[in-house]
Amino acid sequence: MALNPQYEAIGKGFVQQYYALFDDPTQRPNLVNMYNVELSFMTFEGVQLQGSVKIMEKLNSLSFQKINRIITAIDSQPMFDGGVLINVLGRLQADEDPPHAFSQIFVLKPLGNSFFVQHDIFRLGIHDTA
Amino acid sequence: MMEYDYLIKFLALGDSGVGKTSFLYQYTDGMFNSRFISTVGIDFREKRLIYQSKGKNHRVHLQLWDTAGQERFRSLTTAFYRDAMGFLLLFDLTNEQSFLEIRNWIEQLRLHAYCEAPDVVLCGNKADLEDRRVITEWRARELAEKHGLPYLETSAATGQNVTRAVETLLERVMIRMETAVDRAMLPGRRGRPRDVNDLDLNASSSNNCSC
Repeated sequence: MALNPQYEAIGKGFVQQYYALFDDPTQRPNLVNMYNVELSFMTFEGVQLQGSVKIMEKLNSLSFQKINRIITAIDSQPMFDGGVLINVLGRLQADEDPPHAFSQIFVLKPLGNSFFVQHDIFRLGIHDTA
Repeated sequence: MMEYDYLIKFLALGDSGVGKTSFLYQYTDGMFNSRFISTVGIDFREKRLIYQSKGKNHRVHLQLWDTAGQERFRSLTTAFYRDAMGFLLLFDLTNEQSFLEIRNWIEQLRLHAYCEAPDVVLCGNKADLEDRRVITEWRARELAEKHGLPYLETSAATGQNVTRAVETLLERVMIRMETAVDRAMLPGRRGRPRDVNDLDLNASSSNNCSC
């Protein structure tokens, strides 16, 4: 499959859609449609998960309600299988907690006319090593 | 690189929103900042101070760590608690739930800290918001006494008792270190060994007398 020339628009569009669901507690369960039941990997703050069921268990267990989020940068690259690699840099505030920087990487894998999230790596930008 | 005699690590604990980050910021920088505290690449705060004991000065390098809401994204691991030598346990005087959760935090400390009865100072924070207070002082004192903890009413906004809380904790930790029979049991004392010939440190207070 060839490189997808629309990678920039796909990256930005995906990120907007993904966080609109993630940041609203009533919409969050709909994220299940982004992941494949077997072929999706997530690393959430160092916790490794595979498959949409485990991934949603993790996301549903998060104790905050809403998230305020500001995206600083979205960097995307086309992949040789037609997929898109996306790196997001931003800040988030969970409920009334102190705001944190975060980074998140996605790999979108083509599936028919659409994509699913094959890889998802999330980290807060907390530097708590001496 | 500056030298010190003791590297002391404290951890601020308590529910989200009780003011841990603001409390530590008030202590190290003497300011209240309710907005985003911009990071300089390291997410704990540090302060150097001199602790006096038996006529001697000890140079203390204090590291103040804060969960800062990371517990919403990952569970706080044993490693997170283990290295801390003292704990500032905060609740919000205007928030009943944060007070009720203190019991759970104490239980977590018993399980995960370096010993079963670590040094803890209980702080009822946001004392400046008197008209919104829901936890009375006697109720908080009763809980503190039950668990054998010192209790202070603090305000990260005005600075009320913030320094006193940290110093109370430091004093307890230092006394514990000085009286510990088996020093190997204690975390810390990772600073450089004291030089007994260091005049600065051993200078007696009589040097200050000009008469």
